[in-house]
Amino acid sequence: MIRNGKKNYNLIVGSIITGFILLLILVGTFYTPYDPDAMDAASKFAGVSLKHPMGCDNFGRDIFSRVLEGSRTTFIVAAGTVFIGTFFGIIMGALTGYYGGIVDEILMRFNDAMFAFPSILLALLFISLFGSGKYQVILALGIAFIPSFARIVRSEFIKCKNMDYVKNAKLQGASNIRIMFVHILPNTVTVLLSAIMIGFNNAVLAEAGMSFLGIGVQPPDASLGRMLSEAQTYLFSAPTYAIFPGLIIILMVLGFSLLGDGLKSEE
Amino acid sequence: MDEKHLLKVTDLNIEFHDHIVPETVVYDFDLTLDEGDIVGLVGESGSGKSMSALAIAGLLSRKDMKKRGEILFEGVDLLTCERSTLRDIQGNDISVIFQEPMTSLNPVKKIGWQVEESLRIHTDMTKEERYQKVIQMLEDVELDNPEQVYNQYPHELSGGMRQRVMIAAAMICAPKILIADEPTTALDVTIQAQIVKLLKRINKEKKTAIIFISHDLSLVKQICERVLVMQGGYIVESGLTEDIFNNPQKEYTKKLIEAIPKVDRNKKG
Repeated sequence: MIRNGKKNYNLIVGSIITGFILLLILVGTFYTPYDPDAMDAASKFAGVSLKHPMGCDNFGRDIFSRVLEGSRTTFIVAAGTVFIGTFFGIIMGALTGYYGGIVDEILMRFNDAMFAFPSILLALLFISLFGSGKYQVILALGIAFIPSFARIVRSEFIKCKNMDYVKNAKLQGASNIRIMFVHILPNTVTVLLSAIMIGFNNAVLAEAGMSFLGIGVQPPDASLGRMLSEAQTYLFSAPTYAIFPGLIIILMVLGFSLLGDGLKSEE
Repeated sequence: MDEKHLLKVTDLNIEFHDHIVPETVVYDFDLTLDEGDIVGLVGESGSGKSMSALAIAGLLSRKDMKKRGEILFEGVDLLTCERSTLRDIQGNDISVIFQEPMTSLNPVKKIGWQVEESLRIHTDMTKEERYQKVIQMLEDVELDNPEQVYNQYPHELSGGMRQRVMIAAAMICAPKILIADEPTTALDVTIQAQIVKLLKRINKEKKTAIIFISHDLSLVKQICERVLVMQGGYIVESGLTEDIFNNPQKEYTKKLIEAIPKVDRNKKG
């Protein structure tokens, strides 16, 4: 973490924030102070207290418990999105970058077409076809994310495929698939890693955005964007309902950006 | 007749087709190679020496270029055989050492892993057997602490060490032909001499035939029995090293020989 006598603050702060969020998610998986969906009319709009550290919402549900569960949902959606995007992006980028030619042309033009639409619009289209819910959101955003990953992987493959060590691997008798995924892919990891970090942030924001618009995660499931959307009606009666989910989104995005930047400068 | 030679190249022509006008880079290349031979391939940049060698190694794309002629390796034509046959021969029977030891090793893989690669693909040795073989091979190319080198990454080694690793990787399957494409160009003179000595020793001990590509005639003179001189895609002259150096027939060969720095000769004289 220390290089040329300078501390890599991005990496340090990023890891601390991300670690904190991950800890929160981990704790939320096994323990929440209250059932996140349990309603309690008596504590409707209850303020911040020892009993309810972040207060209660319009149904008297404990906001802290819902934040814990919501950040888990958001995290899972973002991670799933990035996983789908990276997985298929790698395959597509590897094939187009390594082989070039007509395969490259066809897949990349298809990619361009996907790029022409904002990813949220594609996701919208998908949701309207397959219905909304956590898994549909993951799939929709995942597919929308493939082109950007494919581009990055493709350009790295084009750079690497003419290197001598690839020729050498060919000479050792390695098959094309082996060269692509065993010899070249590890060389793209550093670039891919920062792309994953950025992609993760975009996914968090996209999920929040979609849930905010009401096409993402469906009630009673809690997600950070969903909570923000519900909170806007009660901004004055329960300000903590909007503040804390928003804060967690900020921390999540900030943590991952700093971590990504930090890792990049470590290289 | 063909069975007699390890490698027999006849009338090899290489033509590029990736531009509108086809471009021929090698004309009527002929070469025969037997077990234990060392043949030098000399010529200026762009004379087609590397191209011919890459064609023999089967490294030229089959799509963008047209090749005529025959490259018979133990009776199998490398230009027309199945890809899987070619892959079996590559690494197993024909190996190449490249010019630039800096880029010919994968920067993110350990040395041991890279030297093992041929074994992993061509044999079904266990992990332990492979390890033993690699260590022995690294020792064979005169690297100190092979166990340590096994676990190092390419950036931790010097140029000379990397070139030794390359030789180890090329030799691990005991190929019958080793193509050395300017293996010493990127190294300084003392290391050059060591590498050349090493190649000579390998040739003698393992009976590996070597095609030595270089533009450094003094090196070729030291190591090769026969020499092919190339210019502009044509073989201008070929024969025993002694004959060519003592009695060059063509103007171009004479010029090349004259270009060798003369310090050596003055001292002797």
